Amino acid sequence: MPEYLETQVDKFFFKVATDRLYSREGVWVKKEGASVKVGLTDYLQQLSGDIAFADVKPMGTEVTPGDEVASIETIKVDAVIHSPIHGKINLINPKMQSEPEAINQDPYGEGWLCQLEVTDWEEDSVHLLAPDAYFVIMKAEAEEEAKKL
Amino acid sequence: MSANKKVAIVPCSGIGKAFGTVSRVAAYQVVEDDRPEDTQLVPLALLVMGDEEHQEMLKEMPAITIDGCKLACATKMVQEAGGKVEKDFAVLEVFRRYRQFKPQGIAALNEDGEKLADALAKEIDEVVDEIVQKGAQDA
Repeated sequence: MPEYLETQVDKFFFKVATDRLYSREGVWVKKEGASVKVGLTDYLQQLSGDIAFADVKPMGTEVTPGDEVASIETIKVDAVIHSPIHGKINLINPKMQSEPEAINQDPYGEGWLCQLEVTDWEEDSVHLLAPDAYFVIMKAEAEEEAKKL
Repeated sequence: MSANKKVAIVPCSGIGKAFGTVSRVAAYQVVEDDRPEDTQLVPLALLVMGDEEHQEMLKEMPAITIDGCKLACATKMVQEAGGKVEKDFAVLEVFRRYRQFKPQGIAALNEDGEKLADALAKEIDEVVDEIVQKGAQDA
């Protein structure tokens, strides 16, 4: 079980798992051997709303940072999820087809999107955010969003 | 089905979200247009307020709940009132079956939202008919 950095903004609680790295837009990557799992942060899933559909690019798709790795559809948004790293999709979470709400229910666990075989981790990881750095950015964004309520 | 054994329709009371509005539009369609003889609207707000008349009503009537989000307030409140939920609809699940109808709008739904509400109402109609038919057989 990961540990979390936690904060409350307005009436909302947000968690950032401390055992992985992040992109600014709220995508996490967690290294597991020669692959990384990819998913959405707690903040991004709460901001997006209840996820009705999650479409991950097909197995074998090669991505570079900024390429679409998946898309999600909620009542509020249709969002493209960009890969934070170079890699090739070698596993897709089957829950994305049958239970995409897993992203809402367990964003850092059962709700992972896909797994990438990494091709340039040493270089890519330098450009990712450590949990505490993402936490600061996420909190600032959440506070800006709260002002709109 | 006799007048006092109607099916209670309990929609989400969520304000400010399209799924909540879809649930209410569908509920009104069922109760006012499609199956007025067999259904009765039970406002969720009254259950939240602890209205005894409606709580007692739910103990005697089968209920269909329509939840706008995962909090499932309608279903939980009916159960808390001692009612029996015959079928709970989640608007998100209905949307998954009708992906082409993306609802937008809050006070007034867009055309897709109206279509989604209509699709949901028709699914509810079918369940009402099943409950009514079963009630008639059991009588």
